[in-house]
Amino acid sequence: MSANLRRLVVCLDVDSGRVKKGVRFEGLRDVGDPVELAARYEAEGADEIVFLDITATVQGRAAWLDVVRRTAEALFIPLTVGGGVRTVEDVAGALRAGADKVALNSAAVADPTLLSRAAQRFGAQCVVLSIDARRDATRPSGYRVVTHGGRTDTELDAVEWARAGARLGAGEILLTSIDRDGARDGYELQLTRKVADAVLVPVVASGGAGLAEHVVRVLGETRADAALVAGILHDGVTTIARLKDAMSRGGVATRGRGACSMQAS
Amino acid sequence: MKIALYDSGVGNLHSLEKAFDRAVPGARITIESSALAATRAELLVLPGVGGWGALDLRAAGPILKGALEAGLPCVGVCLGMQMLFERSEEAPGDGIGFLRGDVTLLRSPRRPHMGWSALSPAAHVGELKLPDAVYYAHSFACRPAPTVRVLATTTVEGDTFPAIVEQGRTIGVQFHPEKSSSAGLELLAALVRRVAA
Repeated sequence: MSANLRRLVVCLDVDSGRVKKGVRFEGLRDVGDPVELAARYEAEGADEIVFLDITATVQGRAAWLDVVRRTAEALFIPLTVGGGVRTVEDVAGALRAGADKVALNSAAVADPTLLSRAAQRFGAQCVVLSIDARRDATRPSGYRVVTHGGRTDTELDAVEWARAGARLGAGEILLTSIDRDGARDGYELQLTRKVADAVLVPVVASGGAGLAEHVVRVLGETRADAALVAGILHDGVTTIARLKDAMSRGGVATRGRGACSMQAS
Repeated sequence: MKIALYDSGVGNLHSLEKAFDRAVPGARITIESSALAATRAELLVLPGVGGWGALDLRAAGPILKGALEAGLPCVGVCLGMQMLFERSEEAPGDGIGFLRGDVTLLRSPRRPHMGWSALSPAAHVGELKLPDAVYYAHSFACRPAPTVRVLATTTVEGDTFPAIVEQGRTIGVQFHPEKSSSAGLELLAALVRRVAA
Protein backbone atom coordinates (compact mmCIF):
# COMPACT_ATOMS: atom_id res chain seq x y z
CA MET A 1 0.00 0.00 0.00
CA SER A 2 1.60 3.22 -1.06
CA ALA A 3 0.60 6.68 -0.02
CA ASN A 4 1.64 10.10 -1.13
CA LEU A 5 5.27 11.01 -0.80
CA ARG A 6 5.66 13.44 2.07
CA ARG A 7 6.10 17.04 0.97
CA LEU A 8 8.52 19.71 2.06
CA VAL A 9 6.71 23.02 1.68
CA VAL A 10 8.57 26.32 1.76
CA CYS A 11 6.66 29.33 3.05
CA LEU A 12 7.42 32.91 2.13
CA ASP A 13 5.77 35.68 4.14
CA VAL A 14 5.41 38.59 1.74
CA ASP A 15 5.07 42.18 2.96
CA SER A 16 4.74 44.92 0.33
CA GLY A 17 6.46 42.78 -2.30
CA ARG A 18 9.37 41.57 -0.14
CA VAL A 19 9.85 38.33 1.80
CA LYS A 20 9.93 38.98 5.54
CA LYS A 21 10.39 36.74 8.51
CA GLY A 22 9.33 37.49 12.05
CA VAL A 23 9.19 35.75 15.38
CA ARG A 24 5.63 35.23 16.57
CA PHE A 25 4.44 37.77 14.00
CA GLU A 26 6.57 40.54 15.48
CA GLY A 27 9.90 42.11 14.54
CA LEU A 28 9.86 41.57 10.77
CA ARG A 29 13.10 41.24 8.89
CA ASP A 30 13.64 41.53 5.09
CA VAL A 31 15.03 38.30 3.65
CA GLY A 32 14.71 38.83 -0.10
CA ASP A 33 12.78 39.01 -3.36
CA PRO A 34 9.85 36.56 -3.49
CA VAL A 35 10.20 35.65 -7.16
CA GLU A 36 13.93 34.90 -6.87
CA LEU A 37 13.56 33.01 -3.60
CA ALA A 38 10.67 30.87 -4.82
CA ALA A 39 12.53 29.88 -8.00
CA ARG A 40 15.67 29.13 -6.03
CA TYR A 41 13.81 26.89 -3.60
CA GLU A 42 12.21 25.00 -6.49
CA ALA A 43 15.64 24.43 -8.06
CA GLU A 44 16.90 23.16 -4.70
CA GLY A 45 14.09 20.60 -4.49
CA ALA A 46 11.16 22.21 -2.65
CA ASP A 47 7.93 20.31 -3.34
CA GLU A 48 5.66 23.31 -3.05
CA ILE A 49 5.70 27.02 -2.28
CA VAL A 50 3.30 28.88 0.01
CA PHE A 51 3.02 32.66 -0.20
CA LEU A 52 1.35 34.40 2.69
CA ASP A 53 0.55 38.06 2.24
CA ILE A 54 1.25 39.81 5.53
CA THR A 55 1.01 43.32 4.06
CA ALA A 56 -0.83 45.74 6.28
CA THR A 57 -1.04 48.75 3.94
CA VAL A 58 -3.50 49.36 1.11
CA GLN A 59 -0.72 50.28 -1.35
CA GLY A 60 1.09 47.04 -0.53
CA ARG A 61 -2.07 45.03 -1.18
CA ALA A 62 -2.26 46.33 -4.74
CA ALA A 63 1.20 44.93 -5.43
CA TRP A 64 0.27 41.50 -4.07
CA LEU A 65 -1.36 39.95 -7.12
CA ASP A 66 1.48 41.22 -9.26
CA VAL A 67 3.96 39.38 -7.03
CA VAL A 68 1.82 36.22 -7.26
CA ARG A 69 1.70 36.56 -11.05
CA ARG A 70 5.44 37.04 -11.47
CA THR A 71 6.21 34.17 -9.11
CA ALA A 72 3.74 31.76 -10.73
CA GLU A 73 5.35 32.61 -14.06
CA ALA A 74 8.71 31.36 -12.82
CA LEU A 75 7.53 28.24 -10.96
CA PHE A 76 6.85 24.68 -12.13
CA ILE A 77 5.70 23.36 -8.75
CA PRO A 78 2.43 24.11 -6.96
CA LEU A 79 1.95 27.56 -5.47
CA THR A 80 -0.47 28.20 -2.61
CA VAL A 81 -1.31 31.77 -1.72
CA GLY A 82 -3.06 33.14 1.33
CA GLY A 83 -3.37 36.16 3.54
CA GLY A 84 -6.25 38.59 3.36
CA VAL A 85 -8.39 36.37 1.11
CA ARG A 86 -11.95 37.37 2.03
CA THR A 87 -14.31 36.53 -0.82
CA VAL A 88 -14.86 34.04 -3.61
CA GLU A 89 -13.79 36.84 -5.94
CA ASP A 90 -10.46 37.11 -4.06
CA VAL A 91 -10.00 33.37 -4.60
CA ALA A 92 -10.77 33.78 -8.30
CA GLY A 93 -8.27 36.65 -8.55
CA ALA A 94 -5.47 34.63 -6.95
CA LEU A 95 -6.17 31.62 -9.19
CA ARG A 96 -6.22 33.87 -12.26
CA ALA A 97 -2.85 35.27 -11.19
CA GLY A 98 -1.48 31.73 -11.34
CA ALA A 99 -1.94 30.31 -7.83
CA ASP A 100 -2.83 26.62 -7.71
CA LYS A 101 -4.45 26.76 -4.28
CA VAL A 102 -5.78 29.54 -2.11
CA ALA A 103 -5.62 29.48 1.68
CA LEU A 104 -8.57 30.88 3.65
CA ASN A 105 -8.17 31.70 7.32
CA SER A 106 -10.00 34.48 9.24
CA ALA A 107 -12.63 34.93 6.52
CA ALA A 108 -13.58 31.24 6.70
CA VAL A 109 -14.00 31.51 10.47
CA ALA A 110 -16.27 34.52 9.98
CA ASP A 111 -18.26 32.79 7.23
CA PRO A 112 -17.67 29.03 6.83
CA THR A 113 -19.82 28.96 3.67
CA LEU A 114 -16.90 30.69 1.95
CA LEU A 115 -15.19 27.26 1.92
CA SER A 116 -18.13 25.50 0.29
CA ARG A 117 -18.74 28.30 -2.19
CA ALA A 118 -15.08 28.37 -3.23
CA ALA A 119 -14.93 24.55 -3.46
CA GLN A 120 -18.08 24.38 -5.57
CA ARG A 121 -16.79 26.97 -7.99
CA PHE A 122 -13.11 25.98 -8.26
CA GLY A 123 -12.88 22.44 -6.85
CA ALA A 124 -11.76 21.25 -3.41
CA GLN A 125 -8.20 20.83 -4.69
CA CYS A 126 -7.86 24.65 -4.88
CA VAL A 127 -9.21 25.36 -1.41
CA VAL A 128 -6.92 25.26 1.62
CA LEU A 129 -8.22 25.94 5.11
CA SER A 130 -5.50 27.68 7.07
CA ILE A 131 -5.92 27.18 10.82
CA ASP A 132 -3.88 29.03 13.44
CA ALA A 133 -4.14 27.17 16.75
CA ARG A 134 -3.00 27.91 20.27
CA ARG A 135 -2.81 25.58 23.27
CA ASP A 136 -5.85 26.09 25.43
CA ALA A 137 -6.99 23.57 28.00
CA THR A 138 -10.55 24.92 27.92
CA ARG A 139 -11.10 23.52 24.38
CA PRO A 140 -11.97 19.80 23.98
CA SER A 141 -8.87 19.02 21.91
CA GLY A 142 -6.64 21.29 23.98
CA TYR A 143 -6.25 23.73 21.09
CA ARG A 144 -8.21 26.89 20.30
CA VAL A 145 -8.51 28.48 16.86
CA VAL A 146 -7.14 32.02 16.77
CA THR A 147 -7.14 34.51 13.90
CA HIS A 148 -5.35 37.66 12.79
CA GLY A 149 -1.93 36.19 13.41
CA GLY A 150 -2.87 35.03 16.88
CA ARG A 151 -4.20 38.37 18.11
CA THR A 152 -7.87 37.37 18.11
CA ASP A 153 -9.38 34.40 19.93
CA THR A 154 -12.33 32.47 18.50
CA GLU A 155 -14.61 30.04 20.30
CA LEU A 156 -13.66 27.22 17.91
CA ASP A 157 -11.85 24.04 18.84
CA ALA A 158 -9.00 23.42 16.36
CA VAL A 159 -9.78 19.75 15.67
CA GLU A 160 -13.52 20.37 15.33
CA TRP A 161 -12.87 23.27 12.96
CA ALA A 162 -10.54 21.17 10.81
CA ARG A 163 -13.20 18.46 10.58
CA ALA A 164 -15.91 21.01 9.70
CA GLY A 165 -13.68 22.72 7.16
CA ALA A 166 -12.91 19.48 5.34
CA ARG A 167 -16.61 18.63 5.31
CA LEU A 168 -17.42 22.04 3.83
CA GLY A 169 -15.00 21.51 0.97
CA ALA A 170 -11.45 22.38 2.00
CA GLY A 171 -9.11 20.04 0.10
CA GLU A 172 -6.20 20.59 2.45
CA ILE A 173 -5.53 21.93 5.95
CA LEU A 174 -2.59 24.23 6.63
CA LEU A 175 -2.16 23.91 10.38
CA THR A 176 -0.01 26.44 12.21
CA SER A 177 0.87 26.28 15.87
CA ILE A 178 1.01 29.87 17.08
CA ASP A 179 2.86 28.68 20.18
CA ARG A 180 5.67 27.28 18.04
CA ASP A 181 5.68 29.71 15.12
CA GLY A 182 9.16 31.13 14.67
CA ALA A 183 10.42 29.56 17.91
CA ARG A 184 12.37 26.80 16.14
CA ASP A 185 11.94 24.27 18.92
CA GLY A 186 9.98 21.71 16.91
CA TYR A 187 6.46 21.28 15.52
CA GLU A 188 3.49 20.91 17.85
CA LEU A 189 3.28 17.14 17.42
CA GLN A 190 0.15 16.56 19.48
CA LEU A 191 -1.85 19.20 17.61
CA THR A 192 -0.66 17.86 14.26
CA ARG A 193 -1.44 14.28 15.23
CA LYS A 194 -4.94 15.14 16.44
CA VAL A 195 -5.89 17.09 13.32
CA ALA A 196 -4.27 14.69 10.85
CA ASP A 197 -6.10 11.76 12.50
CA ALA A 198 -9.42 13.64 12.39
CA VAL A 199 -9.57 14.49 8.66
CA LEU A 200 -9.10 12.62 5.39
CA VAL A 201 -7.63 15.59 3.51
CA PRO A 202 -3.89 16.31 3.55
CA VAL A 203 -2.53 18.27 6.52
CA VAL A 204 0.46 20.60 6.23
CA ALA A 205 2.17 21.03 9.60
CA SER A 206 3.52 24.51 10.25
CA GLY A 207 5.27 26.37 13.02
CA GLY A 208 8.38 25.35 14.90
CA ALA A 209 10.86 23.98 12.35
CA GLY A 210 14.34 24.56 13.73
CA LEU A 211 16.27 21.43 12.77
CA ALA A 212 16.00 18.73 10.12
CA GLU A 213 15.11 16.36 12.94
CA HIS A 214 11.92 18.35 13.62
CA VAL A 215 10.75 17.79 10.04
CA VAL A 216 11.54 14.08 10.29
CA ARG A 217 9.65 13.78 13.57
CA VAL A 218 6.47 15.56 12.47
CA LEU A 219 6.27 13.47 9.29
CA GLY A 220 7.43 10.24 10.96
CA GLU A 221 5.24 10.47 14.04
CA THR A 222 2.00 11.96 12.64
CA ARG A 223 -0.13 11.47 9.54
CA ALA A 224 0.69 14.98 8.27
CA ASP A 225 1.33 14.93 4.51
CA ALA A 226 3.70 17.85 4.52
CA ALA A 227 5.96 19.94 6.71
CA LEU A 228 6.25 23.66 6.18
CA VAL A 229 9.57 25.41 6.68
CA ALA A 230 10.51 29.05 6.33
CA GLY A 231 12.97 30.92 8.50
CA ILE A 232 15.57 28.17 8.81
CA LEU A 233 15.97 28.20 5.03
CA HIS A 234 15.92 31.97 4.61
CA ASP A 235 18.61 32.28 7.29
CA GLY A 236 20.77 29.55 5.80
CA VAL A 237 20.55 27.45 8.98
CA THR A 238 19.93 24.47 6.70
CA THR A 239 19.16 23.69 3.06
CA ILE A 240 16.42 21.78 1.29
CA ALA A 241 18.95 19.15 0.25
CA ARG A 242 19.93 18.57 3.87
CA LEU A 243 16.30 18.41 4.98
CA LYS A 244 15.49 15.92 2.23
CA ASP A 245 18.53 13.80 3.11
CA ALA A 246 17.41 13.74 6.72
CA MET A 247 13.89 12.72 5.65
CA SER A 248 15.24 9.82 3.57
CA ARG A 249 17.56 8.68 6.34
CA GLY A 250 14.71 8.97 8.83
CA GLY A 251 12.50 6.67 6.76
CA VAL A 252 10.15 9.39 5.47
CA ALA A 253 9.37 8.72 1.80
CA THR A 254 9.81 11.89 -0.21
CA ARG A 255 10.59 13.06 -3.71
CA GLY A 256 14.30 13.03 -4.51
CA ARG A 257 16.00 16.33 -4.99
CA GLY A 258 15.04 17.43 -8.53
CA ALA A 259 17.98 17.95 -10.83
CA CYS A 260 17.50 21.20 -12.69
CA SER A 261 18.74 20.38 -16.16
CA MET A 262 15.94 22.01 -18.15
CA GLN A 263 17.11 25.34 -19.48
CA ALA A 264 14.93 28.25 -20.49
CA SER A 265 14.33 28.29 -24.23
CA MET B 1 5.71 23.27 -33.91
CA LYS B 2 2.17 24.71 -33.78
CA ILE B 3 0.53 23.74 -30.49
CA ALA B 4 -3.11 24.48 -29.69
CA LEU B 5 -4.48 24.37 -26.15
CA TYR B 6 -8.14 23.58 -26.39
CA ASP B 7 -10.00 25.92 -24.04
CA SER B 8 -13.23 24.30 -22.91
CA GLY B 9 -13.83 27.31 -20.70
CA VAL B 10 -13.14 25.38 -17.52
CA GLY B 11 -9.96 26.83 -16.12
CA ASN B 12 -6.70 28.71 -16.19
CA LEU B 13 -4.55 27.39 -19.02
CA HIS B 14 -1.56 29.58 -18.46
CA SER B 15 0.60 27.22 -16.42
CA LEU B 16 0.26 24.53 -19.08
CA GLU B 17 0.99 27.07 -21.79
CA LYS B 18 4.24 28.16 -20.16
CA ALA B 19 5.24 24.52 -19.53
CA PHE B 20 4.89 23.67 -23.25
CA ASP B 21 6.68 26.88 -24.08
CA ARG B 22 9.60 25.78 -21.89
CA ALA B 23 9.55 22.08 -22.87
CA VAL B 24 9.20 22.44 -26.64
CA PRO B 25 11.77 24.85 -28.08
CA GLY B 26 10.37 26.96 -30.90
CA ALA B 27 6.75 26.08 -30.10
CA ARG B 28 4.07 28.50 -31.29
CA ILE B 29 1.27 28.09 -28.79
CA THR B 30 -2.27 29.35 -29.16
CA ILE B 31 -5.32 28.96 -26.96
CA GLU B 32 -8.36 27.97 -29.01
CA SER B 33 -11.96 27.88 -27.82
CA SER B 34 -13.09 26.48 -31.18
CA ALA B 35 -12.52 22.74 -31.57
CA LEU B 36 -12.11 23.16 -35.32
CA ALA B 37 -9.36 25.76 -34.89
CA ALA B 38 -7.69 23.63 -32.19
CA THR B 39 -7.52 20.58 -34.46
CA ARG B 40 -5.69 22.55 -37.17
CA ALA B 41 -2.52 22.69 -35.02
CA GLU B 42 0.31 20.14 -35.21
CA LEU B 43 -0.25 19.17 -31.58
CA LEU B 44 -3.53 19.34 -29.70
CA VAL B 45 -3.37 19.79 -25.94
CA LEU B 46 -6.40 19.01 -23.79
CA PRO B 47 -5.81 20.87 -20.52
CA GLY B 48 -7.02 19.71 -17.17
CA VAL B 49 -8.39 22.20 -14.72
CA GLY B 50 -11.91 22.07 -13.37
CA GLY B 51 -14.56 19.39 -13.28
CA TRP B 52 -16.47 17.15 -15.68
CA GLY B 53 -19.68 18.97 -14.81
CA ALA B 54 -18.43 22.16 -16.45
CA LEU B 55 -17.52 20.37 -19.70
CA ASP B 56 -19.82 20.59 -22.68
CA LEU B 57 -18.51 18.40 -25.47
CA ARG B 58 -21.78 17.97 -27.37
CA ALA B 59 -20.56 20.03 -30.33
CA ALA B 60 -16.77 19.74 -29.87
CA GLY B 61 -16.55 16.03 -28.95
CA PRO B 62 -17.17 14.55 -32.43
CA ILE B 63 -14.75 17.07 -34.02
CA LEU B 64 -11.99 16.24 -31.53
CA LYS B 65 -12.62 12.49 -31.81
CA GLY B 66 -12.45 12.63 -35.60
CA ALA B 67 -9.16 14.51 -35.51
CA LEU B 68 -7.61 12.03 -33.04
CA GLU B 69 -8.79 9.07 -35.12
CA ALA B 70 -7.21 10.72 -38.17
CA GLY B 71 -3.86 10.76 -36.30
CA LEU B 72 -3.58 14.28 -34.88
CA PRO B 73 -0.91 14.17 -32.13
CA CYS B 74 -2.53 14.95 -28.79
CA VAL B 75 -1.58 15.24 -25.12
CA GLY B 76 -4.36 15.37 -22.50
CA VAL B 77 -3.58 16.42 -18.94
CA CYS B 78 -5.65 15.45 -15.85
CA LEU B 79 -9.27 16.30 -16.79
CA GLY B 80 -7.92 16.52 -20.34
CA MET B 81 -6.95 12.84 -20.06
CA GLN B 82 -10.28 11.93 -18.50
CA MET B 83 -12.26 13.64 -21.27
CA LEU B 84 -10.66 11.29 -23.83
CA PHE B 85 -12.78 8.51 -22.29
CA GLU B 86 -16.50 7.82 -22.63
CA ARG B 87 -18.10 8.98 -19.40
CA SER B 88 -17.41 9.93 -15.80
CA GLU B 89 -19.03 9.24 -12.45
CA GLU B 90 -18.38 12.88 -11.60
CA ALA B 91 -21.21 14.29 -13.71
CA PRO B 92 -23.48 13.44 -16.66
CA GLY B 93 -22.46 14.21 -20.22
CA ASP B 94 -20.36 12.31 -22.75
CA GLY B 95 -16.61 12.52 -23.04
CA ILE B 96 -14.83 12.53 -26.39
CA GLY B 97 -14.96 8.75 -26.41
CA PHE B 98 -11.69 8.29 -28.29
CA LEU B 99 -10.52 5.95 -25.53
CA ARG B 100 -12.76 3.14 -24.31
CA GLY B 101 -13.47 3.14 -20.60
CA ASP B 102 -14.90 5.18 -17.77
CA VAL B 103 -13.76 7.68 -15.19
CA THR B 104 -14.59 6.81 -11.59
CA LEU B 105 -14.05 8.21 -8.11
CA LEU B 106 -10.74 7.19 -6.53
CA ARG B 107 -11.23 4.23 -4.20
CA SER B 108 -8.90 5.63 -1.56
CA PRO B 109 -10.79 7.28 1.32
CA ARG B 110 -8.40 10.23 1.23
CA ARG B 111 -9.66 12.52 -1.52
CA PRO B 112 -8.67 14.62 -3.33
CA HIS B 113 -5.39 12.85 -3.99
CA MET B 114 -3.05 15.82 -3.81
CA GLY B 115 0.69 15.73 -3.77
CA TRP B 116 3.69 13.92 -5.18
CA SER B 117 3.40 10.22 -5.94
CA ALA B 118 5.69 7.64 -7.50
CA LEU B 119 5.19 6.34 -11.05
CA SER B 120 5.49 2.62 -11.83
CA PRO B 121 6.29 1.64 -15.41
CA ALA B 122 3.64 -0.55 -17.09
CA ALA B 123 3.77 -2.96 -20.03
CA HIS B 124 3.82 -0.40 -22.83
CA VAL B 125 6.29 2.13 -21.41
CA GLY B 126 8.91 1.29 -24.05
CA GLU B 127 11.75 3.80 -24.27
CA LEU B 128 9.96 6.48 -22.28
CA LYS B 129 12.02 7.68 -19.31
CA LEU B 130 9.75 8.27 -16.31
CA PRO B 131 10.34 10.73 -13.48
CA ASP B 132 10.51 9.19 -9.99
CA ALA B 133 7.63 11.30 -8.75
CA VAL B 134 4.98 13.58 -10.21
CA TYR B 135 2.41 15.99 -8.80
CA TYR B 136 -1.26 14.99 -8.64
CA ALA B 137 -4.42 16.93 -7.79
CA HIS B 138 -7.53 14.86 -8.58
CA SER B 139 -10.42 12.89 -7.10
CA PHE B 140 -11.29 10.82 -10.18
CA ALA B 141 -9.26 8.32 -12.19
CA CYS B 142 -9.57 6.60 -15.58
CA ARG B 143 -10.49 2.92 -15.81
CA PRO B 144 -9.49 2.06 -19.37
CA ALA B 145 -10.67 -0.92 -21.41
CA PRO B 146 -7.91 -3.48 -22.15
CA THR B 147 -7.49 -2.01 -25.65
CA VAL B 148 -5.94 1.19 -24.21
CA ARG B 149 -2.16 1.00 -23.74
CA VAL B 150 -1.07 1.86 -20.19
CA LEU B 151 2.49 3.24 -19.95
CA ALA B 152 2.63 3.90 -16.21
CA THR B 153 0.51 3.56 -13.10
CA THR B 154 0.31 5.10 -9.66
CA THR B 155 -0.99 3.39 -6.54
CA VAL B 156 -2.62 5.34 -3.75
CA GLU B 157 -3.86 3.50 -0.69
CA GLY B 158 -4.52 0.31 -2.58
CA ASP B 159 -6.06 1.90 -5.68
CA THR B 160 -3.89 1.45 -8.77
CA PHE B 161 -4.88 3.70 -11.66
CA PRO B 162 -3.27 4.63 -14.98
CA ALA B 163 -0.88 7.58 -14.78
CA ILE B 164 -0.11 7.61 -18.52
CA VAL B 165 -2.18 6.03 -21.30
CA GLU B 166 -1.65 5.94 -25.05
CA GLN B 167 -3.57 5.08 -28.16
CA GLY B 168 -2.35 5.95 -31.62
CA ARG B 169 -0.75 9.37 -31.40
CA THR B 170 -2.70 10.40 -28.31
CA ILE B 171 -1.29 10.35 -24.78
CA GLY B 172 -3.16 11.15 -21.59
CA VAL B 173 -1.54 11.85 -18.20
CA GLN B 174 -3.47 11.96 -14.94
CA PHE B 175 -0.87 14.01 -13.05
CA HIS B 176 0.34 17.55 -13.72
CA PRO B 177 3.69 17.57 -15.57
CA GLU B 178 3.52 21.38 -15.53
CA LYS B 179 3.62 21.22 -11.71
CA SER B 180 6.23 18.45 -11.48
CA SER B 181 9.30 20.68 -11.70
CA SER B 182 12.14 20.07 -14.17
CA ALA B 183 11.47 16.32 -14.34
CA GLY B 184 7.88 17.06 -15.38
CA LEU B 185 9.02 19.39 -18.15
CA GLU B 186 11.47 16.78 -19.42
CA LEU B 187 8.67 14.21 -19.49
CA LEU B 188 6.41 16.63 -21.34
CA ALA B 189 9.13 17.12 -23.96
CA ALA B 190 9.51 13.34 -24.30
CA LEU B 191 5.73 12.87 -24.65
CA VAL B 192 5.58 15.49 -27.40
CA ARG B 193 8.44 13.76 -29.24
CA ARG B 194 6.65 10.42 -28.85
CA VAL B 195 3.26 11.51 -30.21
CA ALA B 196 4.67 13.76 -32.92
CA ALA B 197 7.29 11.28 -34.17
